[in-house]
Amino acid sequence: MRAFLTGLGILLALLVQSSLSRLLPTEAPLLDPFLLVVVYCALVGGETHGMLAGAAAGWVQDVHFGGTVLGFAPLSKIVVGFGVGLAASRFMLTGPGPRTLTLLVAAVADALVFAWLAYVFDVKTAALSPLALGSRATVNAAVGVVLFELIDRRLRRERLA
Amino acid sequence: MAVAIDTRRSRALLVVLVASHLVVISHQVDGGRGASLLERGIFSLLYPFQWVVNASVRGVKNAVASYVDLRTVRAENVRLKEQMAVLETLLQEKQDRVREAERLREALALKEILPLKTVAAEVVARDGLPFYRGLTIDRGSEHGVRVDAAVISPTGVVGRVFEVFPRGARVQLLLDAQAGVGVLIERTRVMGVASGRSVPGEGPSGDLEMRYVALRADVQVGDVVVTSGLDRIFPKGLAVGRVRAVGAGTGLFKDVRVEPSARFATLEEVLVIIGPVAEEAPGAGA
Repeated sequence: MRAFLTGLGILLALLVQSSLSRLLPTEAPLLDPFLLVVVYCALVGGETHGMLAGAAAGWVQDVHFGGTVLGFAPLSKIVVGFGVGLAASRFMLTGPGPRTLTLLVAAVADALVFAWLAYVFDVKTAALSPLALGSRATVNAAVGVVLFELIDRRLRRERLA
Repeated sequence: MAVAIDTRRSRALLVVLVASHLVVISHQVDGGRGASLLERGIFSLLYPFQWVVNASVRGVKNAVASYVDLRTVRAENVRLKEQMAVLETLLQEKQDRVREAERLREALALKEILPLKTVAAEVVARDGLPFYRGLTIDRGSEHGVRVDAAVISPTGVVGRVFEVFPRGARVQLLLDAQAGVGVLIERTRVMGVASGRSVPGEGPSGDLEMRYVALRADVQVGDVVVTSGLDRIFPKGLAVGRVRAVGAGTGLFKDVRVEPSARFATLEEVLVIIGPVAEEAPGAGA
């Protein structure tokens, strides 16, 4: 069931990213729905689930939106999935505050790991400015916190019912 | 105890996943295409969903446009409002058709001028990652599209195909930092290589940079930049852009900024060159 829901989340992320890229081509790269799926999986399922979700989401993202060398997006998301999962198993990351911080750090870490990998493998990619990095992290954190809250509420209601 | 085993297992999984991905990336960087089968599988499996969402987005966009247009005629009286609403909707639909016809006519006109075999393709998706500039089109190997095929629009060069699937392909835009096209200044025949301009700390810009232009070369703002044909991907003489700024540069070469002529932000249809590019003798036209 968990794998199915993760797959569904990744498929939804692909559809959201595809729609955004057509509707708002300039702003679309600011939001990373695949990252939100990975962070949520890691928060609720721990590091193993986070890493596996990161690998799957990263590959789908790389194949559909990546460049000539594939593997950077999955690798950065595996690292993020592991890190968030590890943090979630040691700290209480359930409220909006801690989750905002987690999403901010995750978005920055994802971009930095990606950029570092591209640098290590000598693959030219567009350089992200600190402003773009900050905007990306803020947008993902804002959208993610609201989305996670909505999912949690729904799950809570289902459990109570 | 169970937690310790879980942690050990997850760390082992992390090592395995990281190592396997590093191997896959290294294999590609070395020149191979190790992930091809996996790529094909993922793309083929999920492309229909992407296609459906693209069609839906197009529908929603049209619906929203119609709604916005309808709102502008609200000041009219009630009787005319109803008639206007109907007429506006019909007009919108007709205008869309006219625009589409104009676009296609423009594309077809280009097709007639070019002595090359081309296939028209629709843009299905655009940049999803901030590190790359690319797009996905709805034509693939089943339609004759191949890797390294040139992608153009009526206004100028768009990019090249770098990944082909049976019913779709990924295109690397000229704006991508890894892209490159052999170009020359139309007025003075000065040659160079145009690619995406991305300044560390500033991020990518919408401009191209023309590299390897000697300090003494005659390049002026406003000069037209066209393809040189020497890269054997793009046919000679296609519009790339206009020189926006010329700087002294830091080494042996000038710093030349080019404003691309292709309207990347509004691309909806492109032409993919599927026929062979005419052989150009090295140095021709220089």
